[in-house]
Amino acid sequence: MSKPIKKIMVYVDGTEQSVTAAQYAICLAAFSGAELIAYYVVNTRAMEDLLRARIFLKDEQVEYEQDMESDADRYLNHVNELAVQKGVSISRKRSKGSVHKEIVSAVNDEEIDLLVIGELSRIRSRRDEFYDEAERAMRNVPCSVLIVKDDDRVWEMYQSLS
Amino acid sequence: MALIDMVTEEIVKIPLESKDKPDVLRELVQILKDAGQIDDFDAVLEVIREREDKGSTGLEKGFAVPHAKTPAVCSLKLAIGIAPDGIDFDSLDKQPSKLFFLLVAAPDQSGPHVEALSEIAKLSRSNALCKALVNADNAAEVVELLKGE
Repeated sequence: MSKPIKKIMVYVDGTEQSVTAAQYAICLAAFSGAELIAYYVVNTRAMEDLLRARIFLKDEQVEYEQDMESDADRYLNHVNELAVQKGVSISRKRSKGSVHKEIVSAVNDEEIDLLVIGELSRIRSRRDEFYDEAERAMRNVPCSVLIVKDDDRVWEMYQSLS
Repeated sequence: MALIDMVTEEIVKIPLESKDKPDVLRELVQILKDAGQIDDFDAVLEVIREREDKGSTGLEKGFAVPHAKTPAVCSLKLAIGIAPDGIDFDSLDKQPSKLFFLLVAAPDQSGPHVEALSEIAKLSRSNALCKALVNADNAAEVVELLKGE
């Protein structure tokens, strides 16, 4: 039987939950030998929506987009360092647009077997407005999805990785 | 952290006591201070005022979303204030603002900040929810309405 997981993608968005997800994905890649990709999406779609809604000024949109580009590099570099420390090879990729659509597109293009994401909201709401982008991606990707919980346990697992 | 996880009774005030824009900004920041969410009241108020000076965040249909980034916080902070009688906030449609969502973010967390603002923008498009929030009796009811539980 061939390896069930050949290619893992972890979605990194700058939250603590996504960094925990990255630590878990690094462990998973180390144990399984799967290829690992860290993926960040600069949410330009949301910024365009905020500009249209007049919540953002044009200058503000430009400023936030530049900040988010910097955030993307910083967080992907951080995840890269986490992987390098454990001798795991990782590719860094990023794109711009609607987050969940970009994730679905990347999963298809890269032929990902497993998408790893951080813990979702613990509170269930009937309000669709509160579904976040990671949750939308989870619902729409064609591959299996692993939602990482318990940051203390994941940290211990990551630390114990030689 | 998702926006919904940030909604607790401690960060909700209904009704707001302020009668004008400068006072309501101060009152919203005070909600964060009272809830133990921020230490430096003046620093947060200053960046919120600076952003409002560039252009009002008072939208249509009584919704206002004052927001800013500042190193005075290390994570996203949300305060919700409701003024059933409305407050002149120099809004787009010149109507008094009734629902205030104040969002303050750390400078290195633009992604979660944008996503939270986007969620608030989606909420503002729900006329039924906005009406229910304005007519809420207390903070607990506001939380219940937002969480839908």
